[in-house]
Amino acid sequence: MTLDMMSTGGAGTPSPAWTKPVIETRSLAKTFAISGSEFVALQGVDLAIERGEFISFVGPSGCGKSTLLNMVAGLMPATSGEALVNGVAVREPSREVGFMFQTPVLLPWRTVEQNVLMPGEVFGRKDNALRDKARAVIEAVGLGGFVNAYPRQLSGGMQQRVALARVLTYEPSVLLMDEPFGALDEFTREAMNLELMRITRQAGITVLFVTHNITEAVFMSDRVVVMTPRPGKVSGIVPVDLPRPREIETMQLPRFTEILFEVRHILGGSRGAH
Amino acid sequence: MALTEAGSVRLNRKAGSGDLRFTLITWGVLLLLIGLWETLPRMGMVSAIILPPFSAVAAALWSLMMTDFFLGHFIVTLREILIGFVLGTAIGFAIGVALAIWPTVKRVAYPFVVGFQAIPKIVFAPLFIAWFGFGETSKVVMAVVIAFFPVLINTMVGLESVPADAMRLMRSIRATPMQSFLKVSLPHALPMIFAGVKAALTFAVIGAIVGEFVGASEGLGYLVDLYNNQLRIDRVFAVVVVLAAIGAGGYFLLEWLDKKLIFWRTEDNK
Ligand SMILES: Nc1ncnc2c1ncn2[C@@H]1O[C@H](COP(=O)(O)OP(=O)(O)O)[C@@H](O)[C@H]1O
Ligand SMILES: [Mg+2]
Repeated sequence: MTLDMMSTGGAGTPSPAWTKPVIETRSLAKTFAISGSEFVALQGVDLAIERGEFISFVGPSGCGKSTLLNMVAGLMPATSGEALVNGVAVREPSREVGFMFQTPVLLPWRTVEQNVLMPGEVFGRKDNALRDKARAVIEAVGLGGFVNAYPRQLSGGMQQRVALARVLTYEPSVLLMDEPFGALDEFTREAMNLELMRITRQAGITVLFVTHNITEAVFMSDRVVVMTPRPGKVSGIVPVDLPRPREIETMQLPRFTEILFEVRHILGGSRGAH
Repeated sequence: MALTEAGSVRLNRKAGSGDLRFTLITWGVLLLLIGLWETLPRMGMVSAIILPPFSAVAAALWSLMMTDFFLGHFIVTLREILIGFVLGTAIGFAIGVALAIWPTVKRVAYPFVVGFQAIPKIVFAPLFIAWFGFGETSKVVMAVVIAFFPVLINTMVGLESVPADAMRLMRSIRATPMQSFLKVSLPHALPMIFAGVKAALTFAVIGAIVGEFVGASEGLGYLVDLYNNQLRIDRVFAVVVVLAAIGAGGYFLLEWLDKKLIFWRTEDNK
């Protein structure tokens, strides 16, 4: 099956019986012990995410978005419940799963290319094939002319592109992104949104994208998972049945605004309850 | 579309003409100081016994360097400084790393480290003479004891200041602790470590000289003490100039190495 078929399928439609979800969470929960008392950062979350889906998590600060992502990444143990990637319970980070943060985390003493190749050194790969792959990905994220530039010579948006190239070079099947464009200006963010969609759909990568920007979430996603704080939990999942490929004009569609307000409603509704 | 940002590359511009002006001012101030040093004693505004004029010190320096014993004393002190500096740096680095990477070690040992640093270590000088004798060892130990601390603290703080996201990144790609240390933490801490190393050199000079003051039969500190007792103040100053040259020479060498090694240093991690 092709990626295009998946994208037109829309996320609201139930998955065919023969596909098993790439990512599943079963009552995944996290409690922190803060000076003796228990603090519920995330209440049991049940999700099933299909291969190639683009899922956003929106919600105000402190609703457990990073906690959820960290547990799926195997960077943080769950208090109860479990997360599964490709049907296997997550115990530790996996090279199938790429992670991108709000800060680009580039090493300032390495060039763009050397930064992109750094995980390869950790994996024990230094071959020419990887080098070619890295160059191609750097080209694909629009930094072809900056292979030998140092991070300090790049703008914030370009640095985040390097971080994207670094994770994509190793062909993860799942990409976890924790507010990756949160520090970028609106114009740069839009450009990055379009490119992220293009690249991840082309490669069939499943994306879990955390943001507190509702517009960005609706614009890119197949489904938007709406989260609310105190205690952190999933308050609703909004399917986004907008056509693909999406362009800036997509935001003019009445349906876009409708979905936007559907998300806002869930966010606001729970806020009123407190 | 991807290249819309290509134009926004920030280039590092160096202040060009401003640099020259400040260099000129620096040299001007130096000349002025030397001028005052020469004229004040000559005009009798300062006793020549307290401050011999610059020319007298220069002459004393020249005559000292012509003697057959000066080079020997010079080498003795240089050795003490260098050995003290290298050992102090190595020990400070090793303890700094240990404290940074093993939280339990830090919890147990850090209070002792801070407590030790609170002692004015010059008081150990007579003790070290008693323990290690009048020779080189007591001076080296003194230099080490003063010099290791800035390296220790800067190594520890530098390693601990690695951004949390950088460590998360390394964990997400399943890097071993050693890989994280070598690829991220150590280079990240290097600018701070180097600042500590520079301080260590200055402290090693102090340690060696203090050690010689307290009890020695050779070395530049010994000469300073000797000439001071003989009231040959011009020679005292001449030796001080040599010591200053050792300190400054070493410092600029380290500064040069620093610039070569830490080429990515920017304003915010200076
Ligand atoms: N290591 C931790 N120890 C204690 N509390 C934590 C820890 N990490 C996160 N929290 C708390 O858990 C809640 C959810 O945090 P987080 O997942 O970072 O939220 P978000 O990413 O949505 O802003 C917050 O209230 C936060 O203060
Ligand atoms: Mg967060």
